[in-house]
Amino acid sequence: MGKTVALLKRELMAYFSSPLAYVILTAFLFINGYVFALIVGYLNDPRTPPMAAFKLLFGGTIFFWLMLLFVLPVITMRLIAEERRSGTLEVLLTSPVSETQVVISKFLAALAFYLFLWLPTVIYVLLLARYSKVEVGPVVAGYLGIALLGVLFLAIGTLTSALVKNQIVAAVFAFALLLVVFSLGLVENLVSGGVLKEALGYMNLWEHMDDFSKGIVDTRHVVYLISGAGFFLFLATRALEASKGR
Amino acid sequence: MIEVEGLTKRFVDKEAVANVSFFVPEGEVLGFLGPNGAGKTTTMRMITGFLTPSGGAVRVAGRDLARDPLGVRAAIGYLPENIALYPEMRVEEYLRFRAAIEGVPSRDAAARLDEVAERCMVADVRRQLIGTLSKGYRQRVGLAGALIHKPPVLILDEPTVGLDPRQIVKVRELIAELGRDHTVILSTHILPEVEQVCRRVLIIDNGKIVADGTPDSLRAGLAGAAELTVQLEAPEGDARAALAALAGAVGVKSDGNGRFRVAVEGGADLRRHVFALAVEKKWVLLELTQTMPSLEDVFLRLTTRDTAVEAAEPAEEVANG
Repeated sequence: MGKTVALLKRELMAYFSSPLAYVILTAFLFINGYVFALIVGYLNDPRTPPMAAFKLLFGGTIFFWLMLLFVLPVITMRLIAEERRSGTLEVLLTSPVSETQVVISKFLAALAFYLFLWLPTVIYVLLLARYSKVEVGPVVAGYLGIALLGVLFLAIGTLTSALVKNQIVAAVFAFALLLVVFSLGLVENLVSGGVLKEALGYMNLWEHMDDFSKGIVDTRHVVYLISGAGFFLFLATRALEASKGR
Repeated sequence: MIEVEGLTKRFVDKEAVANVSFFVPEGEVLGFLGPNGAGKTTTMRMITGFLTPSGGAVRVAGRDLARDPLGVRAAIGYLPENIALYPEMRVEEYLRFRAAIEGVPSRDAAARLDEVAERCMVADVRRQLIGTLSKGYRQRVGLAGALIHKPPVLILDEPTVGLDPRQIVKVRELIAELGRDHTVILSTHILPEVEQVCRRVLIIDNGKIVADGTPDSLRAGLAGAAELTVQLEAPEGDARAALAALAGAVGVKSDGNGRFRVAVEGGADLRRHVFALAVEKKWVLLELTQTMPSLEDVFLRLTTRDTAVEAAEPAEEVANG
């Protein structure tokens, strides 16, 4: 446990001692602020039917997804690839910590950074609560959905970072995989009925987020996101072990 | 303490280490020699658990690498070749991190940190960022990290590469000192280093062990490399014949002034016999010296095939160009 904490601390330190973290933070805040302003403007238009602002902010627009698909691979690309490139992985894997501990601590650090990115958006909630009525349930569920989406996406990024030596390759690879996972659900609309359509429906992340932002915490969604993340983290551990064979 | 049995590593295109076995008893400092690409680093990486062996077994401090990999890793302090550190960390932070992942209890960490910083001569840069350190300091920070959990076994892969002469002397002294209370495997290219620090030498070439013994026994075992220089006031032909007839002499060369160079086999010392010969024949003995082969000679002799290949390569390039 102490070892995992030490690894986690070092990983977080590495995030905040690199300029990349601040670039991501700034870009993320800027885009989110822009989207928030757009949404508020749209909702202020008298012709707009009444709806909850956070339903739009949390997964209701393409901005949300674009941002996740582009930003998350950048958060995870460094994790293992950089240690492999610089050679520090040799010290890590010859000290008495297991591959699972290494993967989990790195994933947790990425998750912590990701959640930190969303932290300033709480200001939006406070702002809206001051000028209108905000329902607590959907907001909390929405944040839960955001966290769980992050869990799945960051697990995928951790895997690609474990597979390659080059950070950029890790990021592009993660982006491609995320695109596949994200579009699986959207393909649903192209399939006409049957088991396949139903299966793809379960994987429709857009609908998952839609439910979360309505305040519905569907266990099927939670199980899908968490078990998916577990699967990719398991693969990342295996990839790290397998790299010792070559 | 370290038991290596039939260790083998096959990469896709070649066998880097083939059926290597050796044993290092507690408290021994073993010098691990070999030309570049002979399989030294691969062997060390397998013992430390960074590479999975294709075959064979490793036991360190009574623990089996296959069954208890974390136990073996905990028993070893490993300094990889060209140690990589985290440039954004301060020396202190890095050592504290190493202490934690190597399993040093947190209440002991501060004392351990003080001790290794002192011992590895990095106490004066404790607050400095690793990225700003010179190569010599970085190497010693790596060594401090390898020592922080008091491992019974140290594996050092070319610890003095890239250091300036003064730092080399310091690090060598440190290794000799560590050899008193640790079992050490030291890989290096620098042969005087081995003679100074190691009680036993292992030479590996093309993935196989080609020699194993003390530096002295290796030199003694090298046929024809010891050389006897004799200068006699005597008839050239008689002296030549008499020297060639000595037991252990395998060849005599004369340079014309009554000086002879006698190649000696098996490390035998022929000086007594030469003296007796001179007394018996009433020849005046002007010079008598026997030189032992250096460890360089042993090394070059045992690994010649590899150097021949290296020498052939540039010629090929010329032919192709």
